[in-house]
Amino acid sequence: MKQWWRRLVGARLASAAVAEVRPPTIGRGLRPEQVLRPVRPAFIWATLVGAFFLNLLPWGRAIWVPDFFALTLVFWNVHQPRKVGMGIAFVFGLLMDVHNGALFGEHALAYTLLSYGAITLHRRIQWFPLGSQVIYVFGLLLVAQLASAAVRLWVGGASPGWWVGLLSSALGAAIWPLLHSVLLAPQRRPAKRDDTRPL
Amino acid sequence: MEYGPPPLFNQGVSARARLAFFSLVAAVLIVIDAQVNALDAIRNGVEILLYPIQRVLLWPRDVAEDVGGYFATIGGLNDENASLRKVAVEQAQRAQMAAELKLENDQLRKLAGLRERLDPPSQLVTALYESRDPFSRKVVIDRGSNDGIRAGGPVLDEVGVVGQVTRVFPMTAEVTLLTDKEQSLPVQVARNGLRAVAFGGSEAMTLELRYLPTNADVESGDSVVTSGLDGLYPPDLPVATVTRVDRDVKDQFSRVILKPVAGMSKSRLLLVLMVNPPPLAPAAASGRETPAGNLRGDRAAAKAARR
Repeated sequence: MKQWWRRLVGARLASAAVAEVRPPTIGRGLRPEQVLRPVRPAFIWATLVGAFFLNLLPWGRAIWVPDFFALTLVFWNVHQPRKVGMGIAFVFGLLMDVHNGALFGEHALAYTLLSYGAITLHRRIQWFPLGSQVIYVFGLLLVAQLASAAVRLWVGGASPGWWVGLLSSALGAAIWPLLHSVLLAPQRRPAKRDDTRPL
Repeated sequence: MEYGPPPLFNQGVSARARLAFFSLVAAVLIVIDAQVNALDAIRNGVEILLYPIQRVLLWPRDVAEDVGGYFATIGGLNDENASLRKVAVEQAQRAQMAAELKLENDQLRKLAGLRERLDPPSQLVTALYESRDPFSRKVVIDRGSNDGIRAGGPVLDEVGVVGQVTRVFPMTAEVTLLTDKEQSLPVQVARNGLRAVAFGGSEAMTLELRYLPTNADVESGDSVVTSGLDGLYPPDLPVATVTRVDRDVKDQFSRVILKPVAGMSKSRLLLVLMVNPPPLAPAAASGRETPAGNLRGDRAAAKAARR
């Protein structure tokens, strides 16, 4: 009964061994890197505004829902740090504060910190495979959320169970690979428009 | 970062400088907003900009609910109809009694030379959405200062007190629920008229009575109503029922946990009472939330009583 399983593992090991002896092609990574097409600023803005609208949907008490805007902001900070900076993060943070009835500047502070972290780490994050990027993104989102929690605890009055909101960081990090493939898809298009081009 | 970039690759202001600038601005805004209401003009402007977008984004949810409602089963509707009929009959009886009692009460009050109790004007509103803020419990309603809503107005649903209007925009207003930790209101136990102050509880979806001595006459199952001492909430509105009373001998005060009666139904219709906030007591005038200032005064009094 276990034979098929052993055969499968054997095959995997054998292929791993083959991969092992293959000479490294590009640096350490072994990943072929695609040269991306330039990004269109309109696309950046559309995704940022779209993510903000997603946040405005009436989620109610479902505070575990990931902060879509924060995720998109991190993505563009990592991939286009010269086009999307802390100013945009700050302004959208203020809008978010008004919508949520939070203290004026609370989300602005959190998003500014998030943006700074993402811009500072952008070269490092891009170097890692997607799976490891998730850990970095989780860390960044968590720092931003803890910053806003610190503000609330400092000003006074935190509702019971606020830490459930930290779950939204984990969920947000979990959808990072999906977001990555969607937001990078327009730049991955082949240059020639033909029948095989997916987008 | 140790080397300066050549002018060709000049990146403008450094990331750290930007971080310092924006964090400083955010911190200043937070402090100003937490201490005084000076930023309300900016907030109003932003809210007016956001308002059409918010309304449009509520549309998918409303459509989904309409579709869901369309496919409600006949059985469910029948059940609901039957229970509503029962309630209607009960309430008809109660309404007759109330009319009678009101007449009698008016006569007695006239005899006693007391001021007649006025029913404050009210306005029916719809809750738009709950704010997705893990730190507070707030609901946004679809009427604002254009419709005469003022900060401080009590908000009710069909069973009891829901909360209080805490911030008013031209088109919308924010209602802080009773279960918010910052919220408090003067209440009394309906059974014996024992007065207390109910605060948002330390557990989710609860209230608690603070500063009641360990020998206070409160039992689980007691219903708690507004006392009307603040001049803001009309008296005798249902607020909550007592679910637990912990009398610890070590503690000076008993720990009374309440479960709010309102907010259990799925309906989003609410009633805002248009009461005029009473003039502030001098001691409470420095309080941050002006409409709740008298409650803060209550709290201060309770603290004084504790010493």
